[in-house]
Amino acid sequence: MIFLAFRYLLERRKQTIFTLLGVFLGTMTYVGVSGFFLGFQNYMVQQLIDNSAQIHIQARQDVLTEHGLDEAFYKHAYVQWVSPPSGLLGYLEVQDPQAWYQRLRADQRVRAFSPLISAPVLFTLAKNSVSAVLTGCDPLQQAQVTSIAKSMVDGKFSDIAGGGNRVIMGDELMKRIGAAKDQVVLVSIGGRDSTPMKVVGRFISGNRGSDLQAYAALNDVQRMNGTPNRVTEIAVRLKDYSQAGSIAQDWSRISPEKVESWDQQNVNILSVIKMQTTLRFTMIFAILLVAGFGIYNVLNMTVTQKRQDIAILRSMGYDTFDIVTLFFTQGVMVGAVGGVCGLLSGYLLCRYLQTISFFPPNSSHAGETLHISLDWAIYLQASMLALVAASIASILPARAAGKLTPIEIIRAGA
Amino acid sequence: MSIEAKNVGKVVGDPPVRILANISLMIEDGEFVSLTGKSGSGKSTLLYLLSSLDTPSEGSVHISGNDLGRMKSEELYRFRNVEMGFVFQFNYLIAELSALENVLMPTLKLHRKSELKPFGESLLEKFGLKEKMDRFPRQLSGGEQQRVAIARALIMKPKYLFADEPTGSLDSTNGALVMEIIKRANQDQKTTVILVTHDEDFANLAQRTIRLIDGKIAAGPEPFEQGSR
Repeated sequence: MIFLAFRYLLERRKQTIFTLLGVFLGTMTYVGVSGFFLGFQNYMVQQLIDNSAQIHIQARQDVLTEHGLDEAFYKHAYVQWVSPPSGLLGYLEVQDPQAWYQRLRADQRVRAFSPLISAPVLFTLAKNSVSAVLTGCDPLQQAQVTSIAKSMVDGKFSDIAGGGNRVIMGDELMKRIGAAKDQVVLVSIGGRDSTPMKVVGRFISGNRGSDLQAYAALNDVQRMNGTPNRVTEIAVRLKDYSQAGSIAQDWSRISPEKVESWDQQNVNILSVIKMQTTLRFTMIFAILLVAGFGIYNVLNMTVTQKRQDIAILRSMGYDTFDIVTLFFTQGVMVGAVGGVCGLLSGYLLCRYLQTISFFPPNSSHAGETLHISLDWAIYLQASMLALVAASIASILPARAAGKLTPIEIIRAGA
Repeated sequence: MSIEAKNVGKVVGDPPVRILANISLMIEDGEFVSLTGKSGSGKSTLLYLLSSLDTPSEGSVHISGNDLGRMKSEELYRFRNVEMGFVFQFNYLIAELSALENVLMPTLKLHRKSELKPFGESLLEKFGLKEKMDRFPRQLSGGEQQRVAIARALIMKPKYLFADEPTGSLDSTNGALVMEIIKRANQDQKTTVILVTHDEDFANLAQRTIRLIDGKIAAGPEPFEQGSR
């Protein structure tokens, strides 16, 4: 029956081609759109993972509740406060960072870590003053945890190593303060005396908020802040970022610190990615539904046109299964051929999209092209969707054909 | 005995209309029987009931000892493929297949194409279609198409040939040619032929005629005796 199905398709070339086009376009669109969206999502996630630590270990500060201090003052008693306590409960720095360093060095899942101290500061140059965050770090360790070193457009990130009151600024911060490389700016923390710091580098991360920050050596900032050997955060990079959530949860249970993974910190962005995935599937479902209807309509017409063939085939001894196979095969063949053509075209479309430049020439990503995913799973899903759509669209007319009896057809024709 | 109908009746439609009533007959192996009667007498219906294309409302039909009503579906289809051939008024050739491919269609069911292809070619040659085996139905005349249909009906060397007004769409010359082929199939291959026709001349080519009037068998000649015609 497959040979006869193939003949039927060849004989109605125009109809077959138009039906095939529906599946072809649907499949090609799925591959192209999925490649684009997934490539973008992967790029976004990679940016989140690279630009920031995968796990942040920070000093915990919780808002004080009305009965938050009851146990500290009056054990096992219910306290009715005349004036309930308020404010923040916690610490400003990470408690016992040395214990954390030992734990992190021993953990096989950790690739690198970087202790940090961040403080709100005031940068002053001539008459310009700008509030920003100054982060102290070991540049060699920090470069292993985030991609900050790759964002440098002037100087090297390692130029702040060893201290010496040197600072690297984000591009946005430098513009606001009006500074240039090798100039000296005054930095003051918490009303203390200003410290002159030489600007030795500039970075552009692509994120305006991040580009308002500055980095200096860990010991320089600790000294300026009056908190020697203290850190406010430990940034961690893992060997497998997908484990960040579960590891962060484990570490939260065993320490007073606030431990957050990158996905917990970027819930909004990740929910946008989920929405994109839903949108992608909805769009493709709609396209393939239309293609499926095309197959269904054409096959229905074919069954009506081929009633006499069905009658004579039945009289020759072909049973219901043979008749169902005859029409079902036609739909599946169209789905398969349209699907294969769609996959190839989709692949070529993705390859073309990969050549399109996306970033402005003056950005740190200048020269990079669109990130398009060529993941094999997209192609597998596209093939399955095409076949499933074609199969579902074909089975109803095929079953209707199978139910026709020769006597009904012969009497109608007589 | 080859085909036996016992008290067969057929009622169709809503409100029900009786087409056949209390038909009992026997057809022997190798017999050529014609079913005749006016339009609406039930002859085609009787043919379809005897050939398993339709099921009786009452009674039973036996072929080669098998009760058609009790046969399993798979069994019945196989029986139809191997033991039966059909020729209708409209040839019902498949337009997408050539003459030879149409003839060989029944052989595909049991994967006997290569085995029976030479026989199919010889049938078409015998029917004067040697040069037209690769032609499509639209490239053949009405008479040629009907000859292809008869070749298709005979390709599996069936025991039974059921023909429903095979000359109905043909001119007298082609009609005579088709009837000659059917008669030779009966004589040469001992195929049991049941022919429905309203043409008296063609009906008389059969060894026995069963006349139907208003869904009942009219009184007629005695059942077949070998060599009676």
